[in-house]
Order: sequence, then structure tokens, then C-alpha cells
Amino acid sequence: MLILLLTSAVVMLLMRASFFTYEYLTFRRETVRQLSAMGEIIATNSTAALAFDNRDDAGEILGALKANRHIVAAALYDSNGRFFAGYPANRPPAPFPAAPGGEGFHFEQSSLSGFQPVIQGERRLGTLYLQLDTGIVMREWLWVSLQIALALMAVIVGVAYLLSRSLQKQVSQPILALAETARAISERKDYSVRAVKSGSDEVGRLTDAFNQMLGEIQTLNRDLERRVAERTAQLETANIELNRSRAVFESLFESLPGLFLVLKPDFEIVTASDAYLKATMTTRDDVIGSKLFDLFPDHPEATDASGSSNLRTSLERVLATGTTDNMAIHKYAIRRPDGVFEERYWSTVNSPLLGVDRRVEYLIHRVEDVTDFVRQKPFTSGEPAELRIKMEQMEAEIFQSSQKIEASNLQLRSANAELEAFSYSVSHDLRAPLRHIDGFAGLLEKSDGKQLSERGRGHLAHISDSAKQMGALIDDLLVFSRMGRSEMNLGPVNLQQIAEETIQTLKKQELAERSVNWKLGSLPVVRGDRPMLRQVFVNLLSNAVKYSRPRDPAEIEVGVVDETDEWIIFVRDNGVGFEMQYAQKLFGVFQRLHRAEEFEGTGIGLANVRRIITRHGGRTWAESVLGQGATFYFSMPRNREIKS
Amino acid sequence: MRTLRQIMLVEDNLNDIDLTLAALEELHLANEIVVVRDGAEALDYLYCRGKFAGRTDGLPAVVLLDIKMPKVSGLEVLRQMKSDPALNNLPVVMLTSSREEPDLAASYALGANAYVVKPVDFQQFVDAVRQIGVFWAVVNEPPPRNTGN
Repeated sequence: MLILLLTSAVVMLLMRASFFTYEYLTFRRETVRQLSAMGEIIATNSTAALAFDNRDDAGEILGALKANRHIVAAALYDSNGRFFAGYPANRPPAPFPAAPGGEGFHFEQSSLSGFQPVIQGERRLGTLYLQLDTGIVMREWLWVSLQIALALMAVIVGVAYLLSRSLQKQVSQPILALAETARAISERKDYSVRAVKSGSDEVGRLTDAFNQMLGEIQTLNRDLERRVAERTAQLETANIELNRSRAVFESLFESLPGLFLVLKPDFEIVTASDAYLKATMTTRDDVIGSKLFDLFPDHPEATDASGSSNLRTSLERVLATGTTDNMAIHKYAIRRPDGVFEERYWSTVNSPLLGVDRRVEYLIHRVEDVTDFVRQKPFTSGEPAELRIKMEQMEAEIFQSSQKIEASNLQLRSANAELEAFSYSVSHDLRAPLRHIDGFAGLLEKSDGKQLSERGRGHLAHISDSAKQMGALIDDLLVFSRMGRSEMNLGPVNLQQIAEETIQTLKKQELAERSVNWKLGSLPVVRGDRPMLRQVFVNLLSNAVKYSRPRDPAEIEVGVVDETDEWIIFVRDNGVGFEMQYAQKLFGVFQRLHRAEEFEGTGIGLANVRRIITRHGGRTWAESVLGQGATFYFSMPRNREIKS
Repeated sequence: MRTLRQIMLVEDNLNDIDLTLAALEELHLANEIVVVRDGAEALDYLYCRGKFAGRTDGLPAVVLLDIKMPKVSGLEVLRQMKSDPALNNLPVVMLTSSREEPDLAASYALGANAYVVKPVDFQQFVDAVRQIGVFWAVVNEPPPRNTGN
């Protein structure tokens, strides 16, 4: 509406401006014409005065000009161009032009002035001068013109206002109504609403288009709603189906004969089978949502009810590895709803339920209650209750011991690894200084041996011997350590063959000047580690050779005592023997019953024999009569797998 | 004419170096004996780099290689030598204190040409070194020189 008013005002102003220019030009022409007409009238009236040279009449005629206040000056000149009369009369003649100029009127600064000839018939009597003050005329004219303009403007603005009001009713109202309708539709989502058409002009067409669009939206919306409804129905059906199958599976799971628990990774119980609830004497409402270890804590007093902590370990193992973990049969103290603990024997398997990202989503804890089996197996009916209790106690003890064994096994394994590293270091680092001692002793002997005294050379020899002796000890210890650690490669080993080979080697090595009568019985083929068993024969036979050194001839016999469960093999010599009271010491590490000067050696050979035989599941022992010889025995299991 | 190639000793322990050199001296070999003090130096020598850059005397006749050394172990040197076509036919004798099975197994698996345990007995040590020296530096015919080195 404001725009409308502004527009009309501007149009009016422009119109007015052009009109004004036109009026101004017209006004000027009109003024000249009026002045010229007035000049003609005065000239005509002045003819007589000029003709008769009557200046008074001429003054009167000119004085009549007083009626027109715009005329500021007038003058008459005679035919000779001399000033004749002036107006205003009292005005001195000086300001009038001294002589008449050319005919016609001209605008000067703020006045219009000019000359008009006074003619009678054919005769020119004189000239009339007129001066009009245009400033006054102009001001008046401008004032009138402004008044007209203002009045016109007021009228036009008023009319424009009225017009725009009625226009707004016709154009703006329908558009506003349309906008309102659109807003209402977008707020209420009611696409059935239609905008009211108010005419067939542009607004009407807009309304039509809008309504048409609404129609399309309504159709689309209806289609969408229909499809949503269809999809919802499908989903509902699927949901019902899912719930039904879920219920079926739940009841299937719950009615499983086994004892099952499903746990979240934080050990919260998700669901449990009826059998589990029955066995634990709990209800489903009790367990679901509870934490497993809140529900089944360790028995506060029982010393052997360490099952739960193991269960926790097992479950944590499953979480860590994502694989099934089988637990040994454990005794659990199950708390009944009345708070009393009851002991149950459970065999447990914990399995993971992996999600799509291979992470454990649930834990399935399956328990087999073997309490009846464990309790009834050793008993027939009518067992005294006392015995039964004793049996249970024993079982608990066995269980405890097995746990301890498991723990020490672990310790053993780590100790073994340490030993491995230790002996590696010994092998590299401990032998080196000994080698250097002997080496430099040798170099010293070679370079300066001649300068040394006999005694000095003896010392050097002792240094050398001691280093070698320690080197031998270390080597033997390493072998001994290796015998205890190294993997056993089990297979059939022909002991007869090994004994023969060993005897041959010994004969070559040191028996050139010895006379030994060998007696070799028939030895069995056993299952064992060949290099290890060869070591046994080397040690036992070289011992026999060594300790029978004072005998000539020495007699050494190797044979077997056949028994049902095991082979018993012996090595007998007629050597120096030992006192039986020290028999047990013989097989210890670095245990010797003879001085090194008598019989060389490190005292580790028999310890090695015992270690090897023990690893083969056999035993070692010895018999002797001092001075009459010794017999060493070892047994090997037969017809039986050897534990490695 | 056969040019004498060096005998290379890779050994970190000064005592062992002295004793080995003493043992080799007894042989009166004409071969130059090059001693480097760890595995890294050994590789530098073989590849003529580091402080051995610009060396022009070719590859040794045999490398006597200790196992337990600082920085790069003998087994690592052996592995690198045997996996490089330019060095893999250069004879390597492991000369070490250790008789431990893992060392033995690893050495042979990596292609060691011999494995000698340094005996504690000096005379035996001298004998062992003598045999190594005589065999590898005199008796054994080395592979033809590699043109690349």
C-alpha cells in the first residue's frame, strides 16, 4: 500500500514538473502578449495627447497604469524620440531610457520592458515605453502554482490510498489467505484442505495451481500412508512370528535337560535353563539380571570350595581367547534359597557366543551335575555314612592336590625355561675363562717354561689341570642338565646293539693294555630315546672298566633279569666296589666314593644314568661288597607306553 | 699363480683372539690373518663398507666365526652371508664355546660349513685351530673369486 502511494506521488511530481515547465513558458508568452496588448491600448489612447502635444493628458493616460501594479515604469516619446511623459509621474526621467529603442518587448533580469510605436493612420506620432516587474508576477504565479500542486497532491494521495485499499481487498487478501492456508496445512498435515478461489485473475490461477499441488501431495501422501501401513503390517506379522519363535526357543532352551546359563561378558545372567534353576534351587526371577558371582559366592567357611574362583578364571579365559574352556570336575558350594550351602560336583564347559565382529557377546555356561555319579560310584547301597563322608573328604583332598600340582607344573615350566637360559650362558660364558686360563698357562709354559723352576712348572701344570677339570665338570653338568630338559624322541631301541657298540668303543679307547673279560647276555629291544640310552651304557660300562682297573683280568658282565612288568638290566664288575651304606649317594650329582687321584671323574655319570632311566619310567640301584666288585641295575618298563 | 687369501677371525674376546692367533702362529701360515671384533664389523669387512670401504684385497679363504658377540651375533652374520649370493660360498667355520644344541642346529640350518667347539684344554685348542687352518687355508680349494667383489 505504501508502495502504491509512493508510486502515485512520484508520478504526480513528474507530471507536475513537466506541466510546470509548460506553464512557465506559456506564462512568459502570455505576459509579453498582455503587455503588448496593454501597450497597444495605451498607444491608441495616447495618440491624441501626442498629436496635440498635451503632456498632461499623456501623464493621465499613463497614470491609469496604476491599476496594474505590475507596471513599474512607462514613458512616452514624441515622434522625434524625445521624452514626452513618464510614469510614475513623480519619477525623475533619468532612469527611463534616454531615447526609444527598437520595437518589441524583452525580458531582462527581473523585468519585461520594451517599446511600442504610437501610430495614427499612416503617421507615427511617437513611442511608448513599458516596464513590467516580472518578479512580482512570477512570485504570484509561483504561489498559485504551488497551491495547485499541493492541492493536487493531497487529492491524488487520498485517491491512491482509497484505491490501494480496495486493491488490497481484491489482490492481497486472496494471497494472504493462500499463505495462511499453506501454513495451516503444513502445521496440521491436512492435505484435504483447499484454498478458496476469489476470482479468475492471476491470484485465481495461483490458487488453482496451489490446490492442484495439494491434490497431488494428498495423493502421494495417501500412497505413502498406504505403503507405511502395509510395511507396518508386515513388520507386525514378522514381529509376532519372531516373538512366537523366540518364545518357542526360550521354552526350548529353558526345558533343556542340561544345566545352562547364558551370561553377558560382565557375568550378568541373561537366562537359565529349568534344570539349572532346579539344581541350584533358585527361581528364574531370582537369577536373571543378577551377577553370577553375587548369586553364587564362595562358601564362607569351606576350604575346598575354591570352585567359583576357578569358574571366574575359566570364564575370563573364554572372554580373552574366544574359545571354549573345559573345566575339571569341581566341587561347588551352592547356596540354597534358605541360605544353607550344599556341596555339588559339577563338570563345567564354558563357551563363547561370538558376535559379527568376532567379539564375545555372550557366555554359555554349561554344567553337568555329576554329584550323584561322584557320590554313588564308589559305593553300593548300605555303605556306612562315616565311610561315605571320609570318601568325600578324600576326593576334596585329591582335588586340592591336583590344583597344587597344576600350579607347581606351571612353576616348573618357568624354572625349566630359566634353566635353559642359564645353561646356555654357562656353556658360552663360563667355559671361556677356563679356556683362557689353560691357554695362557700353556703359552707361558712354552715361552718361559725353561726359566721357571721345577716347582713353578708344577704350579703351572696344576693351574692347567684345574682349569681342565673345571671345564670337564661344566661340560658334564651341561650334559646332565640337557638330559633332564631335552625332548625325548621315543622309538624302539635295541639295547643289545648299543651295548656291543659301546664295548667296541671302550676297547679301542683305553683297553689296549687292559685285559677285560666281557660277558654280554641277550638284551631286549625297548621303547626309548636312543642317544640317551646309549649314554646310560657308556656311563655304566666305562665306570665298570674304570673301577676294575686294579684287576687282571677284569670281568665285566652285562645281562638282563626278565620280569613280568619290566626289564631289569645289570652291569656287574669285579672291581673295587663300595660300601653299601653309601649306595644311595652314588647316584647324586658330584657324589664320589673315591678320591680323584685314585679314580678320575666328575661324579656326574651315575646321576645322568638315574636321570635318563627315571625319564624312561624306570628305576636305578646298586649292590656291592667292598673290594669284591659292584652290580648296577636299571629297570625299563615293558609292554607299556612311556610317559615323556 | 695362486694368491693367498686371508683367514678372517671374528671374535670379540681379546683373550680368545690372543690364543687363536698363538695357535695359528704355530702353523707358520703365509696367509694374512684379519681380526674383526664383532658381527657388525665382520659384515662391514665382507661388504667393504664402513671403515673397510675401499678395501681391495678380496674375500678371505675362510671365516672363523664366534657365535656370542655384542651387536650382531655370529648366527646373524652367518644368516646374512648365506642368504647373499655374493658371499654364500665363502666357507664359514663356527668357532665357539657352546656345545648347546640350539646353537649347533641353528648354525647348520643356516649353512655353516663346520662347527668347532673351542676345547678348554689349550693343547686340544691348538690342535683344533691347526686342523682348521691347514684344511681351510691350505688343503681346501676355495670357490673361484666373485667378480663382483
